[in-house]
Amino acid sequence: MSVWENDESDANAPRGRGEFSMRAQRMLVRVLLALRGEAKRSPDSDRDNRYDSLRAEALADRIMLEFPRRVLPLGLAALAALVIFCSLPLVRDAIGQGPVIVANTTMTNAVESGLRQRGSEMSDGIEALKAIVVPFTSDDAPLETPAPIPPFEATAPFKSS
Amino acid sequence: MMDPKTERDTIRRAQQGDRDAIAELIKSYQRPLEAFLFRLCGKSDLAEDIAQESFVRVIKSLDRFDERFRFSTWLFTIGKRLLVNYHQKMRPIANSEMVQYRADSTNTPYAAVEGVERGERISNMISIALDALVSPQREIVLLFHQQGWPVERISKELKMPEGTVKSHLFRARRRMLTAIELSGVPTPSEVFQ
Repeated sequence: MSVWENDESDANAPRGRGEFSMRAQRMLVRVLLALRGEAKRSPDSDRDNRYDSLRAEALADRIMLEFPRRVLPLGLAALAALVIFCSLPLVRDAIGQGPVIVANTTMTNAVESGLRQRGSEMSDGIEALKAIVVPFTSDDAPLETPAPIPPFEATAPFKSS
Repeated sequence: MMDPKTERDTIRRAQQGDRDAIAELIKSYQRPLEAFLFRLCGKSDLAEDIAQESFVRVIKSLDRFDERFRFSTWLFTIGKRLLVNYHQKMRPIANSEMVQYRADSTNTPYAAVEGVERGERISNMISIALDALVSPQREIVLLFHQQGWPVERISKELKMPEGTVKSHLFRARRRMLTAIELSGVPTPSEVFQ
């Protein structure tokens, strides 16, 4: 600062060819510093910071409005890929494994009809057995049923005296 | 400005549609980008519109972002191209919906700075100094002095050798000094009153 004061008298005088006055040089430094200050956010100025924040938020909101439009096709494509992937087994069954299903169905039908036939044969056998047994179980000749033994006789080792 | 790691994390979140991450990215870079564009075109409204359009384009195509590069480099390149396109076609490129939200002119950061007399004088001097620069010099000066990019990064971005960038910077400073000298430099008391 002292240098600034001392040479103020002839500060405007150029120093010869290709040289510049001290005052001009100082002014250039001021200009460059001010230029630098333009790009910096001033930490003291709350007003400027608030203004910058508001503008940034507003612009971000506007950009976000268009963001989904860009993301949506990608999301739809991903969803379609997922659906195709999940439905692949069904498609494979419907196309590639068709004869196997037919064979399985045929086998199932054969087993089922076999079981039904066996069931009817068994029921026929039961009917035949019933036909044999029925004469002996008729009311005219009732089957002799053993007389019930009193419990104490059945369990006693010796006859009571 | 974000550090590279935070920037990468924020970009990944933004790629997944995280609204807060998008807002963080915009908040971090809108002021530098607007300042850069403003000093390239000289119109704050146009700079604001093009900055918004740059953000929209960059964030919509975030899935194509190559993490080896800096986000700001990509953003500034898009912004610069949009500005060049605007000047070539001379028609507004920003969607009117996108610029619907804008505070009145008295609320802009530039207005806040320029409201002060000293700010006005410095701002005028910046314009005088930058007007003296030709196309690549102006951009290099802005990237180096305003955005704080190192020479190496500028040389990669502009695809020119580092020596050429340094040479442009040197010549640009001399041109600016000449312009300041010719404009009649105000005294320090005038500047800092």
